[in-house]
Amino acid sequence: MARHLRFVARTVMVENGNVDGAYKTLNRLLTQEGIIDTVKRKRYFEKPCRERQRKNFESCRRIYHMEMARKIAFISKTNRDDPWVGC
Amino acid sequence: MFKLNSILTHSVSNVCRQLASSLSANGSSLCLQRTLWSSAARLQQTNSVKTDKDPLPPLPGQDSPLRWGGKKFDELPILYIKATYNNTHIQLTDSVGQSLVRTSCGTEGFKNIKKSTPVAAQTAGISAAAKATAKGVTFVRVVVKGLGPGRLSAIKGLTMGGLEVVSITDNTPVPHNGCRPRKARRM
Repeated sequence: MARHLRFVARTVMVENGNVDGAYKTLNRLLTQEGIIDTVKRKRYFEKPCRERQRKNFESCRRIYHMEMARKIAFISKTNRDDPWVGC
Repeated sequence: MFKLNSILTHSVSNVCRQLASSLSANGSSLCLQRTLWSSAARLQQTNSVKTDKDPLPPLPGQDSPLRWGGKKFDELPILYIKATYNNTHIQLTDSVGQSLVRTSCGTEGFKNIKKSTPVAAQTAGISAAAKATAKGVTFVRVVVKGLGPGRLSAIKGLTMGGLEVVSITDNTPVPHNGCRPRKARRM
């Protein structure tokens, strides 16, 4: 750890002796930041061709999931004000 | 990003604390928001201040009223856990860096593949906690390095051995594309 700003980043305080909860919080924060993913990937070298394939696949997957979530949210909207007022 | 968030929320909490302190100094009746803040500040002062700083550690620059065994956060001993894929090392140092206790799965009598198990890490944690309490250490802040099998069970072993964990830090080395790692397995 750098001599400056130690124990500031990636630190979770333990509340009331709940060490498991604190560890789970830390894990959740790290996965959200993508640190655990990066560490697992950098264990072995990833060739640039494989890296490009993976990035392409992840972007397609992200687009698909966002669009599907939008579609589901739209379809599950049941209460809306009457679009054909007066007819 | 987490550092930025922590600094932002810390600055927000600083502003809130200053607001509350200024309000308690004035004592005048103001709009609803300020009265809410004053009641929150009074609650915090009556209860322990621990609920205020749940996820954030006390920064070295500012003074916080939290003490563990009479020590400030910066003076607590540090317990480093290096959780590799084949083994787990545990070392306890004081706040300066002087080593006090050193255990690992190998020193506990496990060999080869048995060292890379959570059970071995737990026994190493228990023995480290026992040696630490023999030296008179109660509260400790934990620094974890690496994603190995003994990452969580070492901390569990510490609490089972009777040591109080104050905070958990993650110091896993993340290279910003530095050294080239070894090639992928099983081509």
